[in-house]
Amino acid sequence: MDFNLPAEDDTRRLELRAWLDANPNPSYRLLFERGLTAPHWPRPWGLAADPELQLIIDDELARAGIRSPNHINPAAINNCAQSLLKFGTEAQQRRFLPPALACEEIWCMLFSEPSAGSDVGALKTSARRDGDAYVVNGHKIWTSLADRAQIGVLVARTDPSLPKHKGLSVFLVDLDAPGIRIEPIVDMTGEKGEYCEVLFEDVRIAADRRLGEEGEGWKIAMLQLQTERVALSKPGAIWGSGPSARDLVDGLIESGRIADPVIADEAMRLFVEGEILRLLAFRSLSDRMHARPSGPEGAIRKMVAAPHGQRVLELAKRSQGPAGLVKDRDVLPMRKGQRGPYSNWDTAFWFSPGVTLGVGTQEILKNVVAERLLGLPREKDPSAKLPWREAMNGPASRGTPD
Amino acid sequence: MDFALTAEHEMLREAARDFLESEVDLAPLLVPGATVEQAARSALWAKMSDLGWPSLIVPETFGGLGMSHVDLAMIVGEAGRTLAPAPLFGTLAGTFAILAAGSDAQKDEFLAPVAAGACRLALALADVAGRGIGTPLEDVRAEQTAQGMCLTGIRRFAVDAASADRIVICAPWEGESRWFVVDAAAAGVTIERVEWRDITREVCTVVLDSAPAVMLDRGGEAVWPAIRDRLYLVLAAESAGGLHAVLDDTVAYAKERVAFGRPIGAFQAIKHQLAEMKGQAECASAAILYAAWALDENPARAPVAAAMAQSYASEAYCEAAHRSIQIFGAIGFTWEMRNHLFFKRARANAALLGAPAQLRSDMLAALVAHRAMLAPA
Repeated sequence: MDFNLPAEDDTRRLELRAWLDANPNPSYRLLFERGLTAPHWPRPWGLAADPELQLIIDDELARAGIRSPNHINPAAINNCAQSLLKFGTEAQQRRFLPPALACEEIWCMLFSEPSAGSDVGALKTSARRDGDAYVVNGHKIWTSLADRAQIGVLVARTDPSLPKHKGLSVFLVDLDAPGIRIEPIVDMTGEKGEYCEVLFEDVRIAADRRLGEEGEGWKIAMLQLQTERVALSKPGAIWGSGPSARDLVDGLIESGRIADPVIADEAMRLFVEGEILRLLAFRSLSDRMHARPSGPEGAIRKMVAAPHGQRVLELAKRSQGPAGLVKDRDVLPMRKGQRGPYSNWDTAFWFSPGVTLGVGTQEILKNVVAERLLGLPREKDPSAKLPWREAMNGPASRGTPD
Repeated sequence: MDFALTAEHEMLREAARDFLESEVDLAPLLVPGATVEQAARSALWAKMSDLGWPSLIVPETFGGLGMSHVDLAMIVGEAGRTLAPAPLFGTLAGTFAILAAGSDAQKDEFLAPVAAGACRLALALADVAGRGIGTPLEDVRAEQTAQGMCLTGIRRFAVDAASADRIVICAPWEGESRWFVVDAAAAGVTIERVEWRDITREVCTVVLDSAPAVMLDRGGEAVWPAIRDRLYLVLAAESAGGLHAVLDDTVAYAKERVAFGRPIGAFQAIKHQLAEMKGQAECASAAILYAAWALDENPARAPVAAAMAQSYASEAYCEAAHRSIQIFGAIGFTWEMRNHLFFKRARANAALLGAPAQLRSDMLAALVAHRAMLAPA
């Protein structure tokens, strides 16, 4: 057992550093050609990098001041594009992967709907086969980056006569296709731009844009949601980004507010929890290095990390007193460092109620932990086995008790 | 870089678990009116001695097994899981003190009998207020007499002292903290069991009246942190083990107990509490491994790592033991169930070496002094 990270004089680190010195400000295309945007992918797309090398690459890109490709094109690099290696045709791989990994085409994920969030299998958006195309109608919501993306990964219902999880298919959609309307959502921070609604009205999608077979949509979508790139240095309060508990304690010391014993004790509790969350991330990494499955353990980490992050931001904000309610006030002094999006304390705080909603609500995560890790009885879904059309109109949809 | 346990660690843990699950019998303690005397502590200790547990981390040069703190955490975790009633904590605590303060000759003199299974130890730290952490308390006074060093005073809450053959005690001498070894059978030493709520553990008051003592060679500031961090690790590992046991018991009960036509574990009110408990159990385990690793490999990180483990694990254990009783319902509130044994051990572990809030305050002082530990990473 060893809790040391790859050393400063690790040869892989030195090699990469030399390359970055020789190629200052590289384009994402160049980084992709060098295998650095998705190093965990197999060659020729990536470097088949083990977790250690992935950490070194993260570290060195951050040190060179390069924004992580993962943050530029997260839906593609972090989640969806890798599934093309398994389910995509060769033509699809050639068409979509190079621009995605070079961050020249940004992707977004068209999964959630107004009536299908946690229960995403209940989605209603339909894709009806019509000759060599599908005609799509429906309403997607909570789509990050839709207003900046060129490609959408769409989950839609191709066969309403099958049960809800069986009749779904995945498509790769051009977001400028006629009939698609994109409306940014103003969330409670007052900012436009994190999330959008995407409306489909008789949008024609060529059949060769379907990923995998008809009906494989649920399997592919779940794979895409569970694929996550190894990342270590992500102790931030908002899904790993933004200020961390260390930043909190540091800022409270710097500002002198640590003198309040109530604040001090709460802050130290959060410090301890934050350090432990780092250790859990280390452990998932090691599991991957040993090729052990680390799936549901990720649910534990997020279940602990999301409310932890909220409490970190809450204490920072509370330490300001009424001044914390004034827009865009400096909350706490913060040292320079790479913290990804939400690096401002104030923005991060007003965004933080969303942390236990996005990427799986806290309640769903607890169900996952209880059912998959503790073996407790599964939740019942009276609509799961019925043909979708019937479930939609039948007694289950009206909430009759089982 | 590798944060996983090795196969050897896992084998050690499995072996300890198998041994303790077959040897520990809590049934005598689950009879109303039971006290610590009903537990077969000596018999269990004899078997632990046969396995070499008393001297797990004593270097081989002094007759011990020379194992690592990670190994130690594996075994102590299992002792905590089973609430093994045996004087393991006391002997480990005394050993830590002798290793930190003794000369090589003294380590040989005092630890070789421990390794041979012929001597049990205890460490008597606390005063009546439960203080006794690191500062040379005046409640025990050392004197030089014609017959040698003598100690006079009272120490409270000394774990396993009535089972010990030798007791290690800290007292001020010539302006610094010094560590002394007292023979438990010597004239001037009186040891009384306290009516301690956690009956899986023997806790005592040690009264010294000109008791003859041997002063260990090393004193001063550096000795206590080395002892303290190891004590934190041991208590934390016990607590994490206990927390996992509480979780396992409660999950099993939630699967089997039926109400309103379903196992109670099917209700989210129960399920979600257990999910949270699982999260805390995993967090505690990770903190313990890190503290053990730091003690073995990276001493500079050990003080914060050990205090993190102890403050987190002991509080999480208290919370889990409380929730467990709630989920069991009224039956979990009876003496005949083992829920209360965990509940009481958890309370004790969160109190014996200082409150978690005190540990957090100590950690904060360390962070203020070493701001580099707060660098964004």
